[in-house]
Amino acid sequence: MFKNKYGLLAIALLVVLGLVLAACGDDKESEDEPGVEEENKGNDGKKEDENADEEPKSGGTLTGAMYSAPAGMFNPIFYEEAYEANILSFTHESLVGQNESLEFIPGLAKEWETNEDQTELTMYLEEGVKWHDGEDFTADDVVFTYKSIAHPDYVEAGGIRTAYVQPLLGYEEYVNGETDEFQGVEAVDDYTVKFKFAEPNINPLYYASFTIIPEHIFADIPVAEMPEAEESRQPGKVIGTGPFKFTEMVEREQYVLERHDDYWQGAAYLDKIVWKVVAQSVMSGLLESGEVDFIADPNGIQPADYDMISALGNIEIIEQPDFGYQIMGFKHNHRTADDVESGAINPDNWVPNEKLADPKVRQAIAYAINREGLIEGLLYGRGAVLNSPIAKQFWAYDESETTNYTYDPDTAKSMLDELGYVDADGDGFRENPDGEEWILNFDYPTGNELREKSAPLIEQMLEEVGINVNLRQPKEMSAYVEDLTNDNSDWDLYLIGWSLGSADPDPTGLWATAAAYNFSRWNNPDSEALMQQALKAPEAFEQDYRKEVYKEWQKLFSEDLPAVILYAQNSLWAYNDRLQGVQPLPFTMYNDPHLWWVSDAE
Amino acid sequence: MSKKRKRAQSPFQLAFRRFLKNKLAILGIIVLVIITLGAIFAPLLTNHDPTYGDLLKIEKAPSEEHILGTDGSGRDNFARLLYGARISLVVGFSAMLFTLLIGVVLGALAGYYGGHIDNLIMRLADLILAIPFLVLALTIIALLESVTVTLFVTIIALTTWPSLTRIVRGTFLSLREQEFVLGARAIGASDFRIIFKHFIPNAIGPIIVNATLMMASMIIIESGLSFIGMGIPQPTPTWGNMISEAQNIRILQYHPEAWIPPGLGILLTVLAINFIGDGLRDAFDPKSNRR
Amino acid sequence: MYKYIIRRILVFIPMLIVLSMIVFGLAKAAPGDPFTGRMLDPNIDPEVYEQQREALGLNDPIPVQYVNWATRIVKGDFGESMYYKGRSVASLVWERLPNTLYLGLFSLAITLIVAIPIGIYSARNPYSMFDYGATTFGFFGLAVPNFFFGLVAIYFFAIKLGWFPSQGTITGTDITGFQEFLDRIHHMVLPGITLGLAGTASYMRYMRSEVLDVLGSDYIRTAKAKGMSERNVLYKHTLRNAIIPIITLMGFEFGALLSGAIITEQVFSYPGLGTLFINSITNRDYPVIMAITLLLGVTILIGNLLADIFYSIVDPRIRYD
Repeated sequence: MFKNKYGLLAIALLVVLGLVLAACGDDKESEDEPGVEEENKGNDGKKEDENADEEPKSGGTLTGAMYSAPAGMFNPIFYEEAYEANILSFTHESLVGQNESLEFIPGLAKEWETNEDQTELTMYLEEGVKWHDGEDFTADDVVFTYKSIAHPDYVEAGGIRTAYVQPLLGYEEYVNGETDEFQGVEAVDDYTVKFKFAEPNINPLYYASFTIIPEHIFADIPVAEMPEAEESRQPGKVIGTGPFKFTEMVEREQYVLERHDDYWQGAAYLDKIVWKVVAQSVMSGLLESGEVDFIADPNGIQPADYDMISALGNIEIIEQPDFGYQIMGFKHNHRTADDVESGAINPDNWVPNEKLADPKVRQAIAYAINREGLIEGLLYGRGAVLNSPIAKQFWAYDESETTNYTYDPDTAKSMLDELGYVDADGDGFRENPDGEEWILNFDYPTGNELREKSAPLIEQMLEEVGINVNLRQPKEMSAYVEDLTNDNSDWDLYLIGWSLGSADPDPTGLWATAAAYNFSRWNNPDSEALMQQALKAPEAFEQDYRKEVYKEWQKLFSEDLPAVILYAQNSLWAYNDRLQGVQPLPFTMYNDPHLWWVSDAE
Repeated sequence: MSKKRKRAQSPFQLAFRRFLKNKLAILGIIVLVIITLGAIFAPLLTNHDPTYGDLLKIEKAPSEEHILGTDGSGRDNFARLLYGARISLVVGFSAMLFTLLIGVVLGALAGYYGGHIDNLIMRLADLILAIPFLVLALTIIALLESVTVTLFVTIIALTTWPSLTRIVRGTFLSLREQEFVLGARAIGASDFRIIFKHFIPNAIGPIIVNATLMMASMIIIESGLSFIGMGIPQPTPTWGNMISEAQNIRILQYHPEAWIPPGLGILLTVLAINFIGDGLRDAFDPKSNRR
Repeated sequence: MYKYIIRRILVFIPMLIVLSMIVFGLAKAAPGDPFTGRMLDPNIDPEVYEQQREALGLNDPIPVQYVNWATRIVKGDFGESMYYKGRSVASLVWERLPNTLYLGLFSLAITLIVAIPIGIYSARNPYSMFDYGATTFGFFGLAVPNFFFGLVAIYFFAIKLGWFPSQGTITGTDITGFQEFLDRIHHMVLPGITLGLAGTASYMRYMRSEVLDVLGSDYIRTAKAKGMSERNVLYKHTLRNAIIPIITLMGFEFGALLSGAIITEQVFSYPGLGTLFINSITNRDYPVIMAITLLLGVTILIGNLLADIFYSIVDPRIRYD
């Protein structure tokens, strides 16, 4: 009774197999395609010349893509993620912005001055700026914004941007509810605002760069209720001063921005910008078909897709280094269980990690890692080796005196040999100088595909120089960071990535001894002193002074090695060549979007 | 003598004969054996290490050295396919065995003793059945800091036993009042003896059939969870992990050799097991028309 | 009957409580909380997160947290999401539920429309070419993992042929009414088929064997012997009897369908409960995890209950008391 069924199944199997073969055959022809464009790579991003002589035209819709939906918080003082930032960058503005050399430039403030000891910053605002609902933008809006962030209820309501108000005068008193008056930001008149700092500040403009929210909209909403308010969430109710208004959304799928006709720098050319949430898996297809016009932050396109997308012909790719980087950290010290319990970060109690105590060992490990190989292989060359934990775009980056660990397994081996880390028992792995087992535990998180792939590759590289590495199962980010923070464990090597801002190169947030994010528990008094010195007023008002100090600090970092900086990935932003007028900055593609226009506008 | 003759015609042997006549089931066994052999002798079939990545050979097209090319970490796809089969089969088989153990023991206890024990076990089963399997499994997986094969198998077993338990219990309940059981009890046979001599052999048909089909669904579950990144993590090669890398047009389009083979691997393995399972069902229950 | 229903519900309540305790305990025992995964911005003082933890009560003992949560649930308040700031859990679930529900119903509709006729036809013409074809399809349908099928479907029908969209639920905000309805259906085709594939295969096999069973039973033979036409026999007696187990199966399987949607939604980045659930798990958004688990638990209960009730209506021999 099964005779026929058997036959039919066999046919079905053949069909499936045939399909596979067909697909494989298909592949042979198309395989070359991504590579073909290799020669054209030279003129990246300069192809728009063909339209250069055209005049900008009004009208048209542009479609942007992001890989994850915004959480839905469109209030600049409460949002947290880059996905919301994609929308807020078009709808809201700050007093100051940054230019391509990362200097602060006028935004809603047209000019400013500081007093002698940099404790006061007076900002003169643009007049005639209109909110999306037609109200005038004034100094009161600025005061209101900062007062809201400094408000006693702000953090409990979910706000996290207190860093912007902490150095301001009277913050402590205000946030503790001792006074109703916040001295830190004061409206001198309708178009003049004064920022007062508790102590001389070396980078006052950074603190004045926060996005401004409208007082007339939020005045009657207590800070504690702002996150729930429609004014923070609903299209049409979210009001900013930016060139586009947030007018419509299909939550989790589409977010529509429309031109703000009264924009103070002149109405935008584009009628609409539509943001769509799409899966990374289909991104290149959507770019090709024109369903999506641009993709930028936070992920851009994948390095592996670069060739394929540039081969499409209609897509421009902006490639520039990112401010963040990936590291492999060395656990210099561990915290004690008691400290973890009490939440104390007290360097005096730390327990040194004997396995990695010798800086020479860490240096040998650094030599054993083929960072160039990781960049060539995993990143398809779309990244750069960093020799210090400061982004290359910063004035402070200086590798002239750093030790640069160019891949050299032989140096690594001989260094370890000299230190007495030799394979005493013939198991293929080195023992420590006492002849005891020397196994380095290696942990890494999931969530970043390239980082996940790098871990087993690094393990391989270390094992090639005879280091016994115990690569453990990756952990999910929430669990990973908890373990990394608690750190009363047997961790030795760990991977983590930092995405950093463009405002200031100050490394204390990550590398100061007591910093929570100093996951290596690096405790070096010299480093501490240098970092403080670089921030000390009044000497540090001079950038050149800071540059010298940071040069020394970077040298120290590279010798004491709390971490190996693995790579800084380039951001790859892509857009359809119908979009004109894009002037990317080192940290964003969304520069002056009111000047963007599309060549096929009616 | 007459006793021996009867034994020769035990339902088990009859079923076995019927099974052998089922061509699809035999085909299933052949396919499964081939896949199993491939998994066992993986080291002989390829000299590539499935977890060794070569930075100079990322996403390479098939060549003589790498007959299915390499993946995004420069690892040999063919080696990953073979070693991935190990994970799939091991997970499927051991999860099935573990589930079988829990299911049969609890089902037997519930069905044989009845009363409070039955009540307790069945309420527990209801409880687990009230939550969709994936929801429960995902919550537990998220709880674990890192997932190993053993843990994974345990989670699957702990969340899937109720259906098997119900089947065993049902069979036992119906056997409990049958005359030969009452007879055995009357002559003072121990509970243990009754369960093993009389109950299990009579319930073996449905148990084997369900266990087989369960193994197939466990292989699918494992690959599905690995696919969404909630299963056995990289760099361990699993078929789900391999397909997971194909969530990208570049790979879908230009590297079908990377994702079609593991997909077919799952398909063929599950198909083969289902054929065997159906064959067993027909063999144990010849009246059934289910196919 | 009513007594039976009430008793079933009464039994379910303690189960629900135990269930919520287990899931709550599991979720809380997991390392990390809603803040650990995101506290990686050096410009943000971790102290801020500590204050927020304190404010949300995450530092209280777990039993205290459970009681607080349970007290609110009893009042019908599912609380606020810890990840989506300022969003109530109810509003989040409410926003996604329709998408998953539509997808579930759509795939169920495809399943029934395809499976029942094929199953009947196969049973009436057993061992015909058609029957073998259907059987083959059935085997493949059960053996193909839905994520693999989904990928293949995206590749062929969305990328290569461009017939169906592979993403989202709707094209744009500017279409309304019937157009919008059609657009939504268009978006549901690929995920719907992917989700319904295994179900279609198993319902089809089930239908076939049920119809075969009934056709072979004594009373049908009698009816035929009395001269009733084959058609009449089929529609008057067979279908009615064969469809009962199908409906029961549906009742029991609807919950499974919803949880199967977790993977399918992931493949098509379809904004439903499944994607919300996965996100909530990775972000440790306890209130949302709890709400979805309970919601699915209740759905399964209701599905089972409805199946039982329906069973007793179509088959008067069954009496519950």
